[in-house]
Order: sequence, then structure tokens, then C-alpha cells
Amino acid sequence: MPDGSFAHPQQRHFNPYTENGGTILAIAGADFSVIAGDTRQSEGYSIQTRYAPKVFRLTDRAVLAVNGFAADGNMFVKKVKQRLEWYRHAHAKDMPLRAIARLIQTMLYAQRFFPYYVYNILGGIEEDGKYHTSLPSYSTAFPPHPLSRVHWIKREWKCGPKVLVANTFRLLVQLGSGAVYSFDPVGSYEREACRAAGAAQSLVQPFLDNQIYFKNQTAPAGQSHPTHLPLQDVLSIVIDSFTSATERHIEVGDGLEMYVVLAKGRSPQGLESIAGIQEVTTKSDSDRVFVIRRELKKD
Amino acid sequence: MSIMEYNGGSVIAMVGKDCVAIASDLRLGVQSLSISSNFQKIFPVTDRVFVGLPGLASDVTTLHEQFRYRVNMYTIKEEREIEPETFAQLVSSTLYERRFGPYFIEPVIAGMQKTPSGSLKPFIAATDLIGCLNFAKDFVVAGTASSKLFGVAEGLWEPDLEAEDLFETISQTLLNAVDRDAFSGWGAVVHLMCFFEGSTHPLAQPRRSSTNRIASPVAP
Repeated sequence: MPDGSFAHPQQRHFNPYTENGGTILAIAGADFSVIAGDTRQSEGYSIQTRYAPKVFRLTDRAVLAVNGFAADGNMFVKKVKQRLEWYRHAHAKDMPLRAIARLIQTMLYAQRFFPYYVYNILGGIEEDGKYHTSLPSYSTAFPPHPLSRVHWIKREWKCGPKVLVANTFRLLVQLGSGAVYSFDPVGSYEREACRAAGAAQSLVQPFLDNQIYFKNQTAPAGQSHPTHLPLQDVLSIVIDSFTSATERHIEVGDGLEMYVVLAKGRSPQGLESIAGIQEVTTKSDSDRVFVIRRELKKD
Repeated sequence: MSIMEYNGGSVIAMVGKDCVAIASDLRLGVQSLSISSNFQKIFPVTDRVFVGLPGLASDVTTLHEQFRYRVNMYTIKEEREIEPETFAQLVSSTLYERRFGPYFIEPVIAGMQKTPSGSLKPFIAATDLIGCLNFAKDFVVAGTASSKLFGVAEGLWEPDLEAEDLFETISQTLLNAVDRDAFSGWGAVVHLMCFFEGSTHPLAQPRRSSTNRIASPVAP
């Protein structure tokens, strides 16, 4: 023990970091993203709480999952939310997803020599979708006026999406696409289709390689693997990943929170029939955010 | 760095319906340097038992020789072949003899065990490096990719898999796990043992076991 004497060399030590366990995961679909995390928070072999959220809604199109040192994670989310609020005040709109990703990089790298001990996964809707000439929900909601094209376009503008009119007078609507960005603690980041992080990353990521990217699987002759899976399949894979991780990892369990971000104007894809689903969207006529909660084993 | 990760390598065994499978990668390395892509870690013990020995490569050879000697002595004395469960106990006691200077191997045992009715039922077991036995009903894993193997196996395995499905399940589990492990990979081998009572199934034709080599970059 250091005693303050100068007779012999002494060393003092302070470790400002803790590892709080848990696992997060995100998967991008064609027009949606699923961002999930368990709710157990632990320190060593002790469970501090069975409900500490690790997944947070940032905007109506962006959800952030944070894993690692919980105190750093909560502080980091708080600061990201503050920066997004300032952006709204300055620009009267929500920050695009790719801009949030770059913001997170600069915020993490700003702490390069005293890092937030946190792995981040950002999921949501990117504004890089294809321009589609027709959308069933749009053509029924806003039938083109037979006489006044201008009137019709104005109505579209008010309702939000970028609307372009081609020479042939056809309606073009840009669709959002599902996107996932994963970060290391000092801001190195990458856009991916799926990513797991945290205590059970090594258990979950190879399973995702197999089930999402179809790694080591051969498609039937003349067929190819799908690049994006339907929402129901993705949700099943997420639940299976967490029940498996809960079974084999002591730091994973208690509860599961799955956020689903759905691109504007897309059908709910069976979301409405899911038991206990909750919509947490703040604005109408925007991308939509839902939460699905499930129990995990508590032992 | 841990001596258990010095040479790399992983083994997994799974139970199916009247069948059992054991599989491993084929890499041998010295830390991050790969030396061989055809290093066998799974060995036949009898017609009905296989043992997988992931860990320190020199101890793989030593223990394989040790087990061969002890199984031969057992066969001569008992005038019968050793049963999988008995062999698992032999592995356990052999390792525990070196309790305070252990072999750096975590063996995996797979076989078809004789039942009182005369039929055969699948058997798997694994031990740690000092011989603590784990008789699992579903699957056992060992080696540098063990955490990845646990994750994928827990997601893919289900009870009562038929032989063909068990082969696919263990192959997918191993391949996807070793693809995320820097110390395992470079080809794989799967051994499948099946019991078909009075069956005309092609796999039931007289043979000791069917061994499939998968995704090996080197011709067998």
C-alpha cells in the first residue's frame, strides 16, 4: 500500500474504465434496419440491473446502439443527441444518417487519447435509395390530377419526399434504404449489411456471416442468394442470435430490445401483427421507428 | 501469448439421430505463421471411436501415441474393443496424471456406444487439459475457435438430426466458426458415424465410417 513516505518507490494506480458486458447487433434490409441489444448490465460476475437500455432512438431515421463501458456509453449518446438537436435548430431538419455516422467518428476521435470505451453501431435509413417510378401507397394516396400537374407536384412537396418530374410526366420518388454503420472506440467506421459487437460478438458474428451473408452456402443451380432478407426473417435471426448468446454467455440475458426503422412510404411488412410492438416515431410522414421487447433467460 | 493458442486449431463433435459426427480444421501454425494445411487432429481409436486433439501440436503427437498404447493394452487384456465412454474415462485419467504439468490439449471424443439391447447410440464427450469430463447431450467444442463454435452450434444444432443433416450442420458450424478465427481454418475434415439397423441405406453398407474432406485447399 502506498503510505506517502519517500523511503522507497511507490506506485499509485487508478483505472477509470469498467466493462459492463452485454451485446448489440444490427442488420440492414432493403428498406428497413433492425438494431437490437440485450438489457443486462453487469460488472464482473454481478448483475447491476436487468434493464439498462443500450439502444437509443436518435431521430425518426437513426438508432444508435452502444456497448462497452456503460457510463461512457450513456454520456456519448447524450452528447450525440445534443449535437443532433443543435443541427435541427440550425437547419430545420433531421441530420441524414451518413452525416450522423461522420459526426460520431469525429466525436470519438476527439477523445483519441482518453477514449470513450464504447463500441457503437448506428442503424437506420440512408437517403441513397433508388428512384422508383411508382409506389402503390403513393399512387393511391395522391392520385395524379388529370389537368394540373403542378398542383399535384406541390401536394407532394408538402408531404416531404423528394419528388422529381421526368420528361414523360411520370412521378419519381426516392426510396430510403436500410443502412448499418459500425465503429471502433476511436472512430474508425464502415458501412455494412450486418454487425454484432460486445461480449458475445465472437458467438454471434459467425452465425450472422452464415445466415445473412450466406457464407459457406451454395445457392441451388441457376439461383443466387438474396442480397437483402425480408423483415420477418431478419427478426427471427436476431431473436435466435440473442437466445443462443444468452445460452452460452453469462453477460448476455434478461431482456431484448429490437428497434425497427422503416423507410418512409413502405408497407409495415407484418410489423402491425407483432405482439407488444410500440411505435416511437415523433413526426408523421417520415421514416418510422418501432420497438419490440422480448424476455431473455435471467440465469 | 497462451500456449493453448501457439499452434491453433479447433475440433467439434455433434450428436444426431442414431449418428454422431466429429470435425476439425487442418491448420498447423506457429502463432500467426501458417506451416501446414494438412495437419490431422482427429484420430480413429477403434472402429466406433474417434478422438480429436486440439492444442499444442507436439502434445497432439505425444497423446495420440499414449492413447494408442493404452488402448492396445486394454484390448489385449480385455480381449474386446474399448467402448467410447470407457475411452473417455481413459483420456480423463491420462490427463489428470499430469495434473501439475499438463499436456496442452483439450480432447474431444465421439463414438457409437453399445447399449444393453445390442444397438448403438451416439456418444460425445470433451475434457479440459487436466481431464475434467463434459458429457454433453448435444455438441462439444474445443480449440482456438471454441467461442465461435459455441455461438454457431447453438444457433444451428437441433435434436434428432438425420445423418445427412448432421453432416451439413457440423460442416456449416465448423466452416463459419473457423472463418472468423485467425488460428483455425485452411481446410477441414468431417467424420460421420451412423447406426442403421437392417437398413439398405447406402451409408449402412459395410465400412468403418464415412469420412468427408471439405473445403481443403490441398488435394487429399
